[in-house]
Amino acid sequence: MATDFELQLPARAENVLVVRQAVSGVAEVAGMEPRRVADLKTVVTEACNNVVLHAYPDGEGPMEVSAEVTPDRIEVTVRDRGRGFHPSASDAGASLGLGLPLVASLSDSFAIRGGAGQGTSLSASFALVPAPASNGEKRPRASDELQMAIAPGDLVRPVLARVLGALAARAEFSVDRLSDTMLLGDAVSDHRPSDFSEGRVAVEIDDGDGTLDIRVGPLKEGGGERILSGMEIPGAGGSLKALAKSAEVERRGDAEYLVLEVAR
Amino acid sequence: MRSGEVGLERGDDGLTVVLIQGEHDLSTAPVLRSQLEQLISDGGPLVVDLTEATFIDSSILGTVLQARRDATEAEVGFAVAHGGGADAVERVLEITGLRADLPVHRSREDARAQALGAGTVG
Repeated sequence: MATDFELQLPARAENVLVVRQAVSGVAEVAGMEPRRVADLKTVVTEACNNVVLHAYPDGEGPMEVSAEVTPDRIEVTVRDRGRGFHPSASDAGASLGLGLPLVASLSDSFAIRGGAGQGTSLSASFALVPAPASNGEKRPRASDELQMAIAPGDLVRPVLARVLGALAARAEFSVDRLSDTMLLGDAVSDHRPSDFSEGRVAVEIDDGDGTLDIRVGPLKEGGGERILSGMEIPGAGGSLKALAKSAEVERRGDAEYLVLEVAR
Repeated sequence: MRSGEVGLERGDDGLTVVLIQGEHDLSTAPVLRSQLEQLISDGGPLVVDLTEATFIDSSILGTVLQARRDATEAEVGFAVAHGGGADAVERVLEITGLRADLPVHRSREDARAQALGAGTVG
């Protein structure tokens, strides 16, 4: 099945909100009714909580989230590379083991795969009204940054906007700077997907102290300059890139990236 | 979509309303937990009002349940309210059975009455 959306980010409590925003964006674009979007948010949150609380007892690791959309359903998978699922949550104290019952009750179906030492994935499926389908390939990654790949089409703009909005709000951006960040995100969203090396809109975001480094790519040769050209405002002589603290095209290995730095 | 906030309203009757606002999850649970512990330790009755919450997860439910246990042990009046709020919160309260078991009152006034010892239920 095609993967329409992938997100990887460190398994930290403060990142669960980002996952929730991104996945609800996918669901809304797919045409899911609001009540079921609320259920999906709860299910994804509980799956992420398990990763944050249990997957990496000796440190930190990645939390990987993907979503597949077909005309009749959306399936969301939350995966870790850690020690496996712990549905009792007894050592977490706070959740009192309510997480898995919520997943079971609120999803149409769910499955847990994996085991000790091989990581664990929890997939949950939700029925949909007819929705647009997209395509793409799944590719595991490992990094400390948030990494996201979105199949071309209607998902790109709302999902990227939600993720950037959540991160900018968390970094305490002012309303003006948050708006600037969204405009830059829209400019990336609106760029033709064929300039991305893998045909999907790929973005890595590193949030520092009051800053976001948005690395767009991998891109095809010249893709970075073409995105920057697309940011120029016709007739005004200006460019949206002025909204970023810096905007540079970089090469990393064989790939090209456009790196936008925004600050609060 | 900013992470949630917690507001406090103190009445002349000594009761404190803890207003849970916005999205609350694992990242905000520790702060909420310490605030509730402090209020219970201070000894006045309290109402946790979830009506303005747009999202809560199991860690927040666990925090509220623990606070109720702490309040019972300390003999401090305690009640929970949620009426007409977000779907995501209502569904979680219903599915877990906490709406009936806690109970979660549909109005703050009913919750206030329970916390002050008037014995109103549901």
